[in-house]
Amino acid sequence: MECFLLAAACFGVGIITLFFPHGLQRAAHWLANLAALAGSGMVAAKAWQVLAGNGVEPLYWGSYSLGVDGWSAIFLLLTGIAGVITSLYALGYAQSYEGSRLRLLGGMWNLFVLSMVLVLLAGDAFSFLLFWEIMAVASFMLVNHESEKRSTWTAAYQYLVMTSVGTAAIMIAFLLTGAASANFSFEAMAHNKLVGWWQHGVFAAAFIGFALKAGLVPLHVWLPNAHPAAPSHVSALMSGVMLKIALYGFGRFMFSFLPTWNYWWCVIVLLVGAVSAFLGVLYAQMENDIKRILAYSSVENMGVIFAAFGCGMLLKVLAGGNWFLLGFVAALVHAFNHSIMKVLMFMSAGSIMHGTGSKNLELFGGLAKKMPYTALFTLVGSLALAAIPLTNGFTGEWLLLQSFITLASVNAAQSTRLLVAVCFILLGFTGALALGCFVRFYGIAFLGRARSELTEHAHESDGFMLTAMGISSILVVACGLYPVPVVQTICNALAINQGFAAQGLALEWAGTGTLAVFNPVLLLILVAGIGLVIYLCTANICVEEDVTWNCGTYPTERQQYSATGFSKPVRRAFDYLLKPKRQVSYMRKDHAYFGRQLSYKLEIPDMVTEKLYAPFQKRFVGVSAFLRRMQQGSVRLYVSYVMAAMVLVLVWGALYK
Amino acid sequence: MEYLVVSLMFIVFLQTRFMELRRATLCLAVQSALIAAACLVIGLSHGGGLHGWMPGLLTIAVKVLFIPAAILRTVKGLRDEREIVSDINVNYSTAVAACSLALGYMVIDGLLPQAEGRDILATSMFMIMTGLTLIVMRSRAIMQMIGLITMENGIYLLGLIMTEGLPLIIELGIFLDVLIAVVILVILTSRLRLSFRTTDTNVLDKLKG
Repeated sequence: MECFLLAAACFGVGIITLFFPHGLQRAAHWLANLAALAGSGMVAAKAWQVLAGNGVEPLYWGSYSLGVDGWSAIFLLLTGIAGVITSLYALGYAQSYEGSRLRLLGGMWNLFVLSMVLVLLAGDAFSFLLFWEIMAVASFMLVNHESEKRSTWTAAYQYLVMTSVGTAAIMIAFLLTGAASANFSFEAMAHNKLVGWWQHGVFAAAFIGFALKAGLVPLHVWLPNAHPAAPSHVSALMSGVMLKIALYGFGRFMFSFLPTWNYWWCVIVLLVGAVSAFLGVLYAQMENDIKRILAYSSVENMGVIFAAFGCGMLLKVLAGGNWFLLGFVAALVHAFNHSIMKVLMFMSAGSIMHGTGSKNLELFGGLAKKMPYTALFTLVGSLALAAIPLTNGFTGEWLLLQSFITLASVNAAQSTRLLVAVCFILLGFTGALALGCFVRFYGIAFLGRARSELTEHAHESDGFMLTAMGISSILVVACGLYPVPVVQTICNALAINQGFAAQGLALEWAGTGTLAVFNPVLLLILVAGIGLVIYLCTANICVEEDVTWNCGTYPTERQQYSATGFSKPVRRAFDYLLKPKRQVSYMRKDHAYFGRQLSYKLEIPDMVTEKLYAPFQKRFVGVSAFLRRMQQGSVRLYVSYVMAAMVLVLVWGALYK
Repeated sequence: MEYLVVSLMFIVFLQTRFMELRRATLCLAVQSALIAAACLVIGLSHGGGLHGWMPGLLTIAVKVLFIPAAILRTVKGLRDEREIVSDINVNYSTAVAACSLALGYMVIDGLLPQAEGRDILATSMFMIMTGLTLIVMRSRAIMQMIGLITMENGIYLLGLIMTEGLPLIIELGIFLDVLIAVVILVILTSRLRLSFRTTDTNVLDKLKG
């Protein structure tokens, strides 16, 4: 525990830089980010030791406690790794905020990382909720950093409102559980005496609260607004780690406090996850703002993770045996891998914004020539997010699909098979759309020709940013090529020995003799072999380079695919879901075919906001306006309310003594 | 004591009839004097001494002399010192006062059957309720202050009879409280007059957000 306390002291030093005088803001910046780096490094190292089997003595302070177990150690490891990478990145990236509250950025950054570590360490309901709220407030401050912009503070306040709703739900869940236990420590709450409908209540409250933080549909509306508003390294950490902490909390409830699961809970978690994955990636495909694309992609990946978690729950309820662990391993592996690749991609987006000053995909093009290293790292990240084999994005999805197959094979009930079929369809769509989405992201931004002069002046990022991106790219590829250590560590954390083979991953279904193997190294050799053969076969073909044929004219950059144009087929195919609003008007029309000037506006409103939140908001404001009639502003009226209340109480007391 | 209670009831009824600020203030002074008398009677019946005399004398100093004087001083600065309302308002407030007297007896009988000072308890309830009525039905700041002091007198009387004398330090605290409240209210009233040229609290409606 001392190691974690030392890390907390490091973060504390970082928080103190908040109070440095204005003249020392550069020093504050360096000290804050180095402190965060050191603290995160310690957390990661200690979490790794815990996972290797060295237990940690919990720390008690009155009725409050801090402790680590396998479930939280994974998340601590993930937080530590992401914290090291993003703090390194922030050393370079945050310099651009010099003169605009740089000290606040550094101090809040430390507070944010510290609060996430403490949420994971908390051993009782009170500390959990306290650190959870600190985490919410710190992230709100970070999202609201560029508060001069209207879009930033509206997003930040939307986030604050939503996250408060989520905390309220979590608080209800904790209070219900705690009320049925001896006290509010997690150990006591594990032996709670919840019965019947109370269990449903706790499940509903916990799922709503944590799903809101995780950004599952339909509670995701804050996420695509908050991420673009925040500085890039903050969005990286929020998306990479904070969303996973919601999974941690939900798992804590499911494993410890609600040990017997209802069939319908599992189905709800599974379906909400699968639908979030599908809708998230569908909207990601439609966006032109690079950070909004990544934010919707986070919705997708959290959906995948929760679908895996739900599949694990369902396997436990229906199948028995040890098969349920497959689902949970899939969820955790994907959570771990997604945190690395999403951190990488948000850092890439930050580098693009840093280099060009814009985050509108339509304005980029040909960035690969100006920013070669960023282009390479972004390519790795895009491949991972599109779940291409040989990157770590694939491992989790492979395990997820294996757990679905297991579910269908071990439980032959018709309803289960139907459910699995539906999930397969949704996740199949998700995979295909994610591929399209990141081909679009990478292709439009880095390939082709410049679409505006912004890219002419683009410049490569500095050493710190490139190093951070490089480290995470190496991690992405390493975990993709050699996934066994990650999977094995996670199995250890869940205290199981599932027998994954040394080189690749191998699963054997008990009794049937059927074997599923995923071996990236073999795959790599195969791909390299085929590539070599193709190269040798085509080496002798004579190639002559010339300008692309364009009906006799030279092609211009305006004839390239635009980002909006690239996603048009998908938009047409899912017209009934997206309901895009198109507006075409002629600005000039001299002739039916020549001399026309068109203005084309395309807007894709978020259907959940439109159909669910807007009517609710309208109702709410209506009811409030009605209640407002009580507030006429007259002092005498208010005194008469007091008097009426007093008389009522007195009469009531006199009559029903 | 019975005579005091009956005259207190009459004076509070009378309080609801006055529309002219100076007379209403004088009526308040008389009402406070009756409270002081009740205080002295109770204090002396419990053996006198410093604790017996002190509250009564303080009541005279604060509520009979200082507060009415402060209010009269403020009233002097006002030009339209009449509460501009019809007689109906006066009659309504008297009717409400009558109802609250009945309610006071009902409440006391319901909550504390066979209480010792039934009439005094009922009167104090009646005063509290009438004070509130005055605040609600009058719109001039001075009249609302008078309502507040009436209510305060009622609460003080209730405390006196229920506990048969609070600790001295608490009594002092209560007097200081009232004193400061009245000082603040007088300041606010003159600010109101300066800003809006009237002490009608209805103009404060504009402050609504």
